[in-house]
Order: sequence, then C-alpha cells, then structure tokens
Amino acid sequence: MPPREGVYGLLAEFNTPDELVHATKLAHGAGYRRMESYTPYPVEEAAEALHFHKTRVPLVCLLGGLAGLTTGALLEIWINVWGYPLNLRAMPLFSWPAFVVPAYECTILFSGLSTCFGMLALNGLPQVYHPLFNAPNFADGATSDKFFLCLEANDPQFDLVETRKLLERCSPVSVVEVQH
Amino acid sequence: MEMANEHHGADLTLGHSLHAARVLPAVLTAPEAVSTWRKRAAGVAVAFGLISLVFLFVPLGKEHLLRAYLMGYMTCFNFVGGALALLMVQYVSGGKWGQILRRPLEAMTRTIWVLILMLVPILLLMKHLYQWAAFPDAASKLWAYHHGFMTQEQQLTATSKQTMLSPSSAWIQSAIVLGIMALVITLLNRWSLQRDQDPQAGTMASFDKWRIRFENLSGPMILLYVVLMTDFVIVFVKSLDVTWYSSVYGLQFLVAQGYAVLALGILTLILLSRYEPIKSMFRVTEQHDMGKLLFAFVMLNIYLCFAEFLIIWSGNVPDEIPWYLNRIRGGWWVICSLDVIFHWVIPFCILLSRDIKRSKSKMIWVCAFMLVARLLDMFWLIEPNFPDAAGNLHITGNIGILAYVTVPIAVVAFWIAFYLNELGKRPLINVNDPHTEELLEPEHAH
Repeated sequence: MPPREGVYGLLAEFNTPDELVHATKLAHGAGYRRMESYTPYPVEEAAEALHFHKTRVPLVCLLGGLAGLTTGALLEIWINVWGYPLNLRAMPLFSWPAFVVPAYECTILFSGLSTCFGMLALNGLPQVYHPLFNAPNFADGATSDKFFLCLEANDPQFDLVETRKLLERCSPVSVVEVQH
Repeated sequence: MEMANEHHGADLTLGHSLHAARVLPAVLTAPEAVSTWRKRAAGVAVAFGLISLVFLFVPLGKEHLLRAYLMGYMTCFNFVGGALALLMVQYVSGGKWGQILRRPLEAMTRTIWVLILMLVPILLLMKHLYQWAAFPDAASKLWAYHHGFMTQEQQLTATSKQTMLSPSSAWIQSAIVLGIMALVITLLNRWSLQRDQDPQAGTMASFDKWRIRFENLSGPMILLYVVLMTDFVIVFVKSLDVTWYSSVYGLQFLVAQGYAVLALGILTLILLSRYEPIKSMFRVTEQHDMGKLLFAFVMLNIYLCFAEFLIIWSGNVPDEIPWYLNRIRGGWWVICSLDVIFHWVIPFCILLSRDIKRSKSKMIWVCAFMLVARLLDMFWLIEPNFPDAAGNLHITGNIGILAYVTVPIAVVAFWIAFYLNELGKRPLINVNDPHTEELLEPEHAH
C-alpha cells in the first residue's frame, strides 16, 4: 500500500475536559462523525459526546461465548457418547450434569479471549504509526494534562477552512493541521 | 511536568463548572407517597388474607395454609436477615451504593419485632409441620415408626438429631438467633441516628469515629450472623426432611437473601426517586453499581445451587438423592425448570445489558420479577418435603395447594406495610457521611 499523504485532520487542544466535551458536542451537532477525542484519563462525558457507547465489542463477546459453549458441549458429547463411550457407574452416556461445568468454562474462555482480541482488532491495534504523533503538542500533552479533539479529514463534512472556524469557536489553546 | 501538576489541580475545579453541582435537598424525610404505598400493601394483605381463609374448608387446606405461611414467613425472614447482612457489609466495605441504600436497609431490619411476632404461629403449630415436633421424644418416634408415621430412617435420624430438633430447642434457638439479630439491629439503627446528631458532624474526626464504630460491630457480626441464620434455616426449613444433609444450605439462603434484598432495595429506591429527596440523590451510577451487584448474586445463586446438585448427582448416594428425586419426579420437574429459568436464565440475560441496568423504568420490572422468582424457589424447597407432595405435584383433590399463591402474598404484603411504615420514620439520607457529598457530585466526576 502506498503511503497516505495529505491532511489527516484538524487537532484542537483544550486545557479542560469540559471544553473538550463542549467542542465535541458542537462538532457532533454540526454533523461531524469521523472524530476522536484524546484524554489523559477516562472522561465518560467525552465518550458520551462522541456517542461511543454503542460498540460491537458486546456482540463479539456474545459470539465468542456461543462458540465456546458449542465447542465445549459438542466435544464432551462426542467423547462420551460416540468417541469413547465408557460405562461409568451405569450412568447414561449422555450425562448432561457432568457436561455443564466444562461447557461453561469453555464459554468463559472463548468469550474472554474474543472480547480481548476483538476489542484490540476493532480499535485497529496494534498500530505502529499514528499521524497524530506528528503534532508536537499532542506528543507532549496527550498523556499528561491536555485534552484533544481531532476532526478527521475523511469526514464528508470536513473542510479545512470551515472546520477550523468551527473549532476556533470553542476557544481552544490551538488548532493544528495534522499531516499523514 | 510542573505544568502538568498545575493543570491536574485546575481540572478538578473546572471539571464541575459544566454541570451545576446539586445541593442537598432541604427536606430529607420520606415523601407522602410512602404512606399511600403502605395503605395499598395493607389492603393487599387483608384481601389475600381473607381469600386464604377459603382454604380452611377444603381438603388438606389447613395443612397447606400452614406450609404456605412458613413460605411467606421465610421470605420475610430473608428480607430482614438479608437487609441486616447487607447493611453490615456496606458498613465494612464502604461505597456510595451503600450510603444511598442504607436507610431502606435499616427500615427493613427494624421490622425484626414484627418478624419475631410472626414466628409465634409457627412455634405454636410446629407439631403440624415438623415430624420431630409431632413426635418430640425417642419413645414417641419409635411409636411413630411402629405405626407407620415415620420410616425407620426418619425415626433413627430424628432421634439422633433430637438435641437440635425438638420443640424446646427450637424455641431456644429462635430466641437466640432472633434475639442477637434484634440486638445488632437496635445498635446499628440507634447509632445511625446518633451519627447524624453528632455535634461534630461533618468533620473528619466525626466521620472516622462513626466509621470505626460501625466497622467494629459489623465485621464480627457478619460472621456470627451467617452461623445464626444457617442454624435458623436448618431448624425451620431443612428439618422438614430430617434425613437429608447439606453443608451449603445456609449459604444458599444467604445468597438468596442478598438476591431478594438487593432487588427490593433497588425497587424501593427507583420508586422513591420519583420524589425528593431521593430524586436528587439517586444517580444512575449507583443504580448501575447495584445492578452489577445484583447480577453477581444471580450468578452466585445458580453456582451454589448447581454445585450442590452436581455433587449429589455424582455421588449418587441413596441417602442424598431422594431430596432431588422428590423435587423432580411427578410433575415437579416443571417447577424445577421454571425455577432455573426464572431465577437464573431470565435475570442473567436481562442484567447482562448495561442499558437495562441503568434504566429506571426497566429495572422496576426486573426487580419485581426477581422477587417473584424467589417465591417460586421457596415453594420448590418447602412443599416437596411433605409425603403427600413428594414426587407428586398435583392439584386434583388437592385444591389447598393454591394456598401457596394467596398466603405468601398476604404475609409478604403484611411485612411490606411494616417496612414502609419504618421507611417513613427517618430521613432517607444519612447526612453525616462523606459519601453524602459525593452523591451530589455530577456523574462520572473525576
């Protein structure tokens, strides 16, 4: 894949989470969707302003769990009923109470692993390069005391002049054009 | 990095500017609605009590009335005991969920005197419920065996357990268990009021003094309570079948208590949150936390119940399996399956959802449903102990079994009327607690 060039987005820097949340709401209201906020600690309001709570992670978890349940149960049923049928204490070959715990463990294992790796995959991780680190103020402040909102250039609403005007209405510390 | 530190300070103060910080409501007493609910509960109790009288005149009706009363009584015992346990746990663990839930829990515990009075009919009529009470000494048990009222196993086991299971020791044990519970409940409730009236209220010294005092009583009493309630449920429920042994029985009841009390507590708070002061104090965050705790109890409950079943199924010992066979065969599998579905499958699937745990209107129904599931479980535990019902769930010629519908509703509604009465007596917020201020902070405050 050839290296991507051009503008990645406009990055606004704020001193407080409130200003960030305000700007995010404004941008969302103006129709922007391809945007992300970066904070040094979790800010629930920012996630809410981004309408972030609806992710596909729960679905991945559910599918993983169902896959685990099916795998565990079928494995046990196959072993005990067809693969290696043994007469243990004259119990029926299909003794479901004995199958519950391992099937449950498989459910937990599969759903846990699929949640973890599904979350990483949906986040696009691992990621060795991110354009935002081209912005010096981001590299300095994003993990300590600054709050950033990035409106990305691939949003249909994005326009270098208009988007900058919108962000500047929220009185940020700075608005930086970030290159790919 | 110097700047970083400065900004962390600045963020905290500015962090609140977006949301107006709420103030403690001027009036903290319970809203008028509570007395309306109390009257409704009393009305339900009277109506279902009167309907239940019909069962005096049907075959096996009197027996079923008494058994159903025991079921209603144990449900109320679970509310009071569970509330005491959860009250002590929140004093030891701390947390904002415990602060907002405290006064409803206290109100539940203060009904202990009603609970003690409600035990009297069971104590007076126990010879109609328990074999060990009908045949109190070794000689009468032997007579019962010879005349076919007891099997040999029942006669021998009941005789060997006579120290614990006899009318006089039942009186003594209930006096000790309920007496100690009443003592702890009285202390916790008295201190809670004194805490608010502390002249030094609002200072760190006062916070620490009361926190330590509550912790020192609650910590050891949690352990003692578990022992006491285990004894109580063994005497009054498990001993309906003297031949069965279970080392997890008390714990199952303990978990069931947490399950029921949390459901009732959340229900109370949501209904109260339509009015001040709970309207301002009950945030979605705490409701979500309690929902998660409720979900944990749903899991713990099925874990204990299934673990016991699995162990007994694997052991396949003739001493143990009849208890389950009596509860699975002869139509009981319907109740047994519904118990698992109502008690675990449905609440488990529903409470997985974050949105439902945070929704007031939906949690009302989830909690109400879970309280009904508790009643079904209690029915499954109690009725199959009796020879006419063991492994034989039937309604033909046994119309009295319907008492299990009306009597527990009457008994629980009767108890709820007293609970609501107690709830109305005190301010709904315990003010002299650092968590009170935290409850007024905006949600997700950092």
